[in-house]
Amino acid sequence: MTQDLRIAVDIGGTFTDIEIFDAVSGDIHQLKTPSTPGDPSVGLVAGIREACDRFGLRADAVGHLLHGTTIATNAVLERKLPVGALITTAGFEDVFQIGRHGRNEVYAITLEPPPPLVARSRCFGVSERVDARGRVTTPLDETAVGEIAERLAAGGVQAVAVCLLHAYANPIHERRIGEMLARLLPGVAVTLSSEISPEIREYERMSTAVLNVLLMPIVQRYTDRLASRIGEELPGARVYLVQSNGGVAGLAKAGREPARLLLSGPSGGAAAARRLARELGERNLVAVDMGGTSFDVSIVHEGEVSMVNEGAIDGLPVRLPMVEMRTIGAGGGSVAWVDQGGRLRIGPKSAGADPGPACYGRGGDRFTVTDANLLLGRLDATAFMGGRMPLDAAAARRAAAPLAAELGLGVDALAAGVVAVTNSALATATRLSLFEKGMDPEDFALLSFGGAGGVHACEVADELGIRRTIFPAHASTLSAWGILWSDIAHDLGAMVIGRLSERGAQLQESADRLRREAAALLDEDGVPAEARALEWSVDLRYEGQAFDLTVPWPSSDFSQAGIDAATAAFHALHRQRFSYDEPSVPVEVVALRVRAVGRLSRPATPRSPETGTGAPASRQRAVIGLDGPQDCPVWDRAAILPGRSVSGPAIVEEPYTSIYVPPGWAIEGHPSGVLVATRHAIP
Amino acid sequence: MTTDSQRAIDPVRLEVIRNALVAAAEEMSITIWRTSRSTVVREILDFSTAVFDARGNNVAQSARIPVHLNSMSDCLRTILDRFIPLEDWQDGDVIVTNDPYCGGQHLPDIQTFRPVFVDGERVAIVGTLCHHVDVGGGAAGSYYADATEVFHEGIRIPPLRLVDRGVLNRGVFEMLLFNVRQPEETRGDLNAQIAALGIGERAVTRMARKYGRQPLAAAMAAILDGSERMVRAALRAIPDGEASFEEWVDDDGQSEESIRLAVRVAKAGDRIVIDFAGSSPQVRGPVNNTPAMTCSAVYYALLAALGGEIPANSGCYRPVEVLLPAGSVVNAVFPAPVAGRMVVNHRIATALFGALARLLPARIPAAYYAISYVYALQTVGERGRRQVYFDVEVGGWGGHAGGDGASALSCGLHNNTNAPIEMVEAKYPVTFTRYGLIPDSGGAGQFRGGLGLVREWRLDAAEGSLSTNFERFRHPPYGLNGGSTGSLSRTTVTHRDGTRTELRSKVSGVRLAAGDLVTIETSGGGGYGEPRRRAPDRVARDVAEGLVSPTAAAEIYGHVANREVTP
Repeated sequence: MTQDLRIAVDIGGTFTDIEIFDAVSGDIHQLKTPSTPGDPSVGLVAGIREACDRFGLRADAVGHLLHGTTIATNAVLERKLPVGALITTAGFEDVFQIGRHGRNEVYAITLEPPPPLVARSRCFGVSERVDARGRVTTPLDETAVGEIAERLAAGGVQAVAVCLLHAYANPIHERRIGEMLARLLPGVAVTLSSEISPEIREYERMSTAVLNVLLMPIVQRYTDRLASRIGEELPGARVYLVQSNGGVAGLAKAGREPARLLLSGPSGGAAAARRLARELGERNLVAVDMGGTSFDVSIVHEGEVSMVNEGAIDGLPVRLPMVEMRTIGAGGGSVAWVDQGGRLRIGPKSAGADPGPACYGRGGDRFTVTDANLLLGRLDATAFMGGRMPLDAAAARRAAAPLAAELGLGVDALAAGVVAVTNSALATATRLSLFEKGMDPEDFALLSFGGAGGVHACEVADELGIRRTIFPAHASTLSAWGILWSDIAHDLGAMVIGRLSERGAQLQESADRLRREAAALLDEDGVPAEARALEWSVDLRYEGQAFDLTVPWPSSDFSQAGIDAATAAFHALHRQRFSYDEPSVPVEVVALRVRAVGRLSRPATPRSPETGTGAPASRQRAVIGLDGPQDCPVWDRAAILPGRSVSGPAIVEEPYTSIYVPPGWAIEGHPSGVLVATRHAIP
Repeated sequence: MTTDSQRAIDPVRLEVIRNALVAAAEEMSITIWRTSRSTVVREILDFSTAVFDARGNNVAQSARIPVHLNSMSDCLRTILDRFIPLEDWQDGDVIVTNDPYCGGQHLPDIQTFRPVFVDGERVAIVGTLCHHVDVGGGAAGSYYADATEVFHEGIRIPPLRLVDRGVLNRGVFEMLLFNVRQPEETRGDLNAQIAALGIGERAVTRMARKYGRQPLAAAMAAILDGSERMVRAALRAIPDGEASFEEWVDDDGQSEESIRLAVRVAKAGDRIVIDFAGSSPQVRGPVNNTPAMTCSAVYYALLAALGGEIPANSGCYRPVEVLLPAGSVVNAVFPAPVAGRMVVNHRIATALFGALARLLPARIPAAYYAISYVYALQTVGERGRRQVYFDVEVGGWGGHAGGDGASALSCGLHNNTNAPIEMVEAKYPVTFTRYGLIPDSGGAGQFRGGLGLVREWRLDAAEGSLSTNFERFRHPPYGLNGGSTGSLSRTTVTHRDGTRTELRSKVSGVRLAAGDLVTIETSGGGGYGEPRRRAPDRVARDVAEGLVSPTAAAEIYGHVANREVTP
């Protein structure tokens, strides 16, 4: 029996999206099934069973199951975490409470922060000290560690983070404490900061270690359950979880390092954007994902997804590589309102899925962006969700009336206004995302996905001076499609601090160690040698700066020639990001990084499952655009085959979303299954 | 109520233009961040950008630091009124100044402005403010604690054209760079400020072309009117009345004399008058404030007290009258030194908060630590190698009617992050021994003040010299409604032989020897409400968490301790 099936599952709050790729036929199958928040693996297994039945697939032919989960994220946001403790260097027990002490709300004067994830009374100091060069200056007081372990055992603590000063430079004391805790507190989760995030900056490393250890019991419980369910249902399948870095990891690794799952939400979309960029030959894509509550912007530049080395969840730093994302609170469910100053505002409050926009007819009485699109004719009241969920235009009108009266506008003008204000906010968020990296929107194509984005995308592109907008098939489940093409990716790093020109030997030594660690991780995943790749990079900065840039080091040649090449690449990147470089200033290295990639087998290009009808537009309806109402043809997406071009104004409908093609734009089919809209006249 | 400016523009276009104006300020801000050279700008983010209407009213600003709010408006106003009238501004000009007596802040804050012309008509002015690493004067970094005149504090740039119709005035530029200690950083940061003005000009021009000059002007007027309306509505919601408050600042660093800040607030209908009559005369040391500085603190405190939801622009300040006696510490006259203005500036805010608390008792918290604990250590290493380690610390927030104050968090007029200990140790010859909260430092109350902190390090180099610009060594943060004051601040040096020296709040170049241990303790916030009314479970939790000692819990809160339980 060959394992020819690959399954991707993206579990959201409401729906679980499943995509199945059959390597023999080249077909891709989709399924949407309700999520089961109590135990997400129940819905997952039920969905897979249903899909196998429906599409006539054999469960024992599933080779890979790739799975995106919000279980770690939700546990932190809802503060459903076990009782934890922290062991650190004596004198620094409060570092976790103090943090970096900047505040987010500039005007706040009455602020009572939520209780910390680890209570102050469970932050313990032990006498020990390592200096910045990694030399032990005070030996570890092992007796004190033993006493702390006794107190923790008595207190029923389930998770212990260990973060000592300068442990990134020398982890000897952290490791010793780890060994002692393993012996003294069997069954208790332990995370060493030098293992999860061996990077300089004590608070960020500590926060990452604390989050990781508190999530270990939760994620391990889930992966245990998942493994046994999958073992019964899909006996041939290897299971992987999606990480924040856009790649996947096996269950054992995910259970040890669950902090790497924390910001994995955008990974599927980013992976999809990267793959589409390759399929379509687009070097630069700005991907915008507009759902019910938010608008997320990520970037593919020169074929690669933009990454950052740190993120945050609920105000807590997570010092791990992850997909870079700018989010604003603007989605289809965003509520329009008038503030005290008489301003028309959109969001950030959202009507969510329940009750949802007023037109859902589920009791929502607030006017939302989706209601506005319905009144403008951009959404079809009868065709929404493939006709299974008729929309109530009268309810949308009722919700609009009080706002329209307050602003002195007609209902249609209000609806047009809500869309115009939303578009300006979306365009601003997109422009700033690119601007801060020194990139120009005009060099990019826009990739629009998420259920709510299609009706806004072309107008947003217009505001940005972008001339091409791409609409992938199945925009509402693109994340699962992206996961389907993910690879195993393990990020490893080592601090190497000093002048780059003098650190060749140390880089080589660290690289040798990282290469061994990477091999061990890929062994654990069972990745064959020919499917392995190591992607090297270094964090560099000008001497005197505290601000570094990650520069690829594809050669992994740490001789003088390699150092010279990396230095030149740094100057060039600095010029792009910051408009200048300083070739006369020495370059410092801060960290060596490697991403260990395990390519999961796949064929070159899957066959598109779409079999278009080629039927012409069957309907017309009035759509209100920038220049007032206009009769528009309404097309089924399946009718727009490669080679057919439809000029705006036009509406393109598909089961879970619609596309608005404004005047001046034309949309056509592409062999890969995407639709591409192009601006052909300057507005 | 609909005003004329609102009728002239529909609410949708207004909101779209507002978004675009805010985005223009943000694009300028990103440009400075991207293209500047210095760590002050790149990492401490001590800069801001703004868009003004054609007459110089601030309509949009990007500022992360409250003290920068509105800081450019007064400067631009002074330039227009006293130096370069509006009709003389030409397309392509860049006007620059840093002088506190021309509406500026302190000398390191260099401001630049550029008019935006579309089809020959001036439609807006864009501006930037950057804190430069050094502008000369008696001490590196231009914080010269012994200054007695502004001349000691660095080079003064009167309002002038650094760029004249697109042509850089090289003579002025070079003269400026000859007078600063780090000319390459200053050159880079000034170029960043000029580049940002170009980006702002481009963004506003795009807007004017897209929406039309008239709608843009109408939108700017409506934005100002909208904020004014919100401030007036918020003021109307406060009961009419008058209230006074006084605050005492330790000293100016050059004498033992405390500095009095007196404020009287009179609120009637939708207007408010804020009068600082009775405040101390200007002082010899560099802690004086000019009207532009004082008004930044006043406007910040007022907008924060009114809820912080009102978009900050020039319209906000129309219903506000600020009276500042000339020659006083809040309206110093030339040539008083001002570099350490934050010493008094924070307390202008707490004085005003204190007065407002009498009108709005439920909304205003007890006092925060209210000083930027700035210190600099110059170390001298092998072969005379000198390094300067610079840091800023914070303390506790005041308790308030809804809860306890936050501990060890930036509050009020500044907003900065600490330097990671590992980064400091990797770069400078110091070893940290302690960084923690100070139990019992929060003022007692029904709602306790947040805790201050202790930061302690040992000098490893052969010698060093320490400068501090601290406060609260004699006058602690006040409590409200029966709450107690927060703790006092303190700096102690413990020498290798075990002897100790207590330092004054502001010191300049105190000599340190290898092995000297410096202990900096910051103030906790004031308490709110009678301590005996504190909920017993809050006291119990404080004791369990070690924030309040069992003794204090018993004596102040009447708390009967249970047996200690281990976690």
